[in-house]
Amino acid sequence: MNKFFPTQEVGSLAKPRWRIKGYRGKPLSKEEIAEAVSWGRKLGIENLEELVKLLSEGDSASRKGALLEWSAKYAIRFFETAGLDIVFDGEQWRSEMYEHVIRKTTGFKFLGNVKSFDYRYFNKAACIEKPKYAKSFYLDEFLFTKENTEREIKVPFTGAYTLVDWTFNEYYEKKFSGEIMDFKRRKFEAKREFLFDLIKEVIRPEISKLVDAGAKWVQIDEPAATTNPADEEMKLFVESFNETVKGFNCIFSLHNCYSNYEVLANHACELRNCSQLSLEFANRDSRQVGTGNARTGYKAIELFEEHSFKGNYGLGVVDVHSNFVEPPELVRDRILHVVKTIGDPSRIYVSPDCGLRTRTWETSFQKLKNMVLGAALARKALE
Amino acid sequence: MIGCYVTGALPRSSELIRKTRAYERGRINKKELEESFEKATESATKAQISAGLDYITDGMLKWQDLFRPFTENLKGVKMGSLTRWFNNNTFYRKPIITDYVKREEDVVNNMMQLEKLPKNLSWKAILPAPYTFVSLSENQFYKDKAEFMFKFAEVINEEIKSLAERGFSYIQLSEPALVYEPLAPKFKKDKLALVNDVLETAVKGTTTKTCLQTFFGDFSKISPQALDFPVDHLGIDLYETDFEKLKEYSFEKGVALGLVDSRSSLVEEQDELVAVAEEIVEAIYRSRVEEVFICPNCDLDFLPLEKAEEKMKVISTVTKRLREEFP
Repeated sequence: MNKFFPTQEVGSLAKPRWRIKGYRGKPLSKEEIAEAVSWGRKLGIENLEELVKLLSEGDSASRKGALLEWSAKYAIRFFETAGLDIVFDGEQWRSEMYEHVIRKTTGFKFLGNVKSFDYRYFNKAACIEKPKYAKSFYLDEFLFTKENTEREIKVPFTGAYTLVDWTFNEYYEKKFSGEIMDFKRRKFEAKREFLFDLIKEVIRPEISKLVDAGAKWVQIDEPAATTNPADEEMKLFVESFNETVKGFNCIFSLHNCYSNYEVLANHACELRNCSQLSLEFANRDSRQVGTGNARTGYKAIELFEEHSFKGNYGLGVVDVHSNFVEPPELVRDRILHVVKTIGDPSRIYVSPDCGLRTRTWETSFQKLKNMVLGAALARKALE
Repeated sequence: MIGCYVTGALPRSSELIRKTRAYERGRINKKELEESFEKATESATKAQISAGLDYITDGMLKWQDLFRPFTENLKGVKMGSLTRWFNNNTFYRKPIITDYVKREEDVVNNMMQLEKLPKNLSWKAILPAPYTFVSLSENQFYKDKAEFMFKFAEVINEEIKSLAERGFSYIQLSEPALVYEPLAPKFKKDKLALVNDVLETAVKGTTTKTCLQTFFGDFSKISPQALDFPVDHLGIDLYETDFEKLKEYSFEKGVALGLVDSRSSLVEEQDELVAVAEEIVEAIYRSRVEEVFICPNCDLDFLPLEKAEEKMKVISTVTKRLREEFP
């Protein structure tokens, strides 16, 4: 980028109601259709009457496919209209970051819901045979995004370590059961083989397709990266990242959030070909303007600097779990504070803490717009 | 004597999960939710009885996390933000200590459904151990962490006595934090001495059997000091503990061997479990074999219910086979 502080999104955007209900084949209310039209006008989407007609139709496979395209088009335009420099489709084609990949890959079986917290659960799969690539899971959405935007594209890609960490490992644990007697060692070796088989058989083939199709930048999403902070596990994570990105003619970045940054910082400079660390800070920060002491949430960036991380930062300046709309001046000061800390404005990309899927479109739009304005203010302040 | 039991919360059934979701979305009322919990609790006790476990729990289906009854019911404790539960993809609400911790009424009683427990079998209840509760709380009040720990141990002591009055004969204190220290591999002796004294306070004057159940970490790292802790039994997570180091120690207390892995859906081979248990029991009991319990390494609610039930059957079968070896 030829300017400081390019703005980007991180991944998911909420799915509009007409997309969710429409995709499930449920009839839509007048209000829901009106909502589609009103956002469509706001975003300058062409041929809205075509969408209205589609929304009134009965369920069919072709309607489902068309709805995915429409909502992706909306999301792309949403980010563009908010003024972002780097965009994607808000993950409108994906049910969710884990299930989407596992469902399209051979070797897995969903066992049912297990607890996450309180009354929240997640559908957890078991690996029951060696994972095999079945069909592409990100290629179509990338091709669609490429056709529908002139802006720079960053493809969010669920990382292998997280997929493995969130999956029961039946196949490999069984495989090692005769060989390694110590249970702990057995589980670790089983995890390692699962991880590298998944990278070789599934993850790299998909990246390869994306790169062949013209993808220039893939963001590896690894929310589970520091779940196991032990040194041996962190080394495994680093190795998995390096193996994933090895040899591709493409830019890679890592997104990690709500995590242990002390642990990640320790290993960040071992990540090869990782041009950017996209990290979350805003949710921990005060809402007062100013640099220095007011910026309580940005302390962790010092850890990465102390450990000589030399890449760029995707700096989370917008809290995705709150409806508070950050004023541009607050965004500006968060950026300028980090400029002071690291001394090099060219290493800062500006982004939300994480995907915005838990916020309404109204809130997300306001937040992103102010983020873009804040980045402009920061640029101006440096002139 | 060789027995078996579970060591934590059981999974909610798909039906109950559906109901809790419906409740959260406002589709059913509190009463309907309560009824679903009652039904599921009944199934949870039945599953343990039919598997042939020696102590029965109520399944702890209502417990949102190990601390929640305490976070919600103790004076001086507030509910904080979601925090990762050790190295799992699950989360608990961090207890925040804002004032003197005070137990004004029974803490876990309103979470229990005693009428669902079988009259003719022994009952087991599970509570957080003081060290784990204190380590995972945010202390904004006590200047001295040890003071807080002893205070919480007093709360636990009262809870144990109250549970004993209600008919529980076995109390497990869950102690993952003491062994889970991935970034600090060396355990300090003075810390273990403190934990020893805190446990004294927790079990003082109680009549039930007590077990300090460690999990998510290596028991051999707190040995040999832990071998003298003032509890009847010591729980060991065999999926985290170095077998060879464990076998170096000589035990004079009973053990609860976490032989089945609650964090894996692979159902274990019984032959292998029997062999491992035999090897460990023979190694750690040089003169005479104390009470041994075969159990899951931690809460079975990391699994879907069907898998958890299969695993309960495994511990029961393995126990039967071991009884033949160690009559």
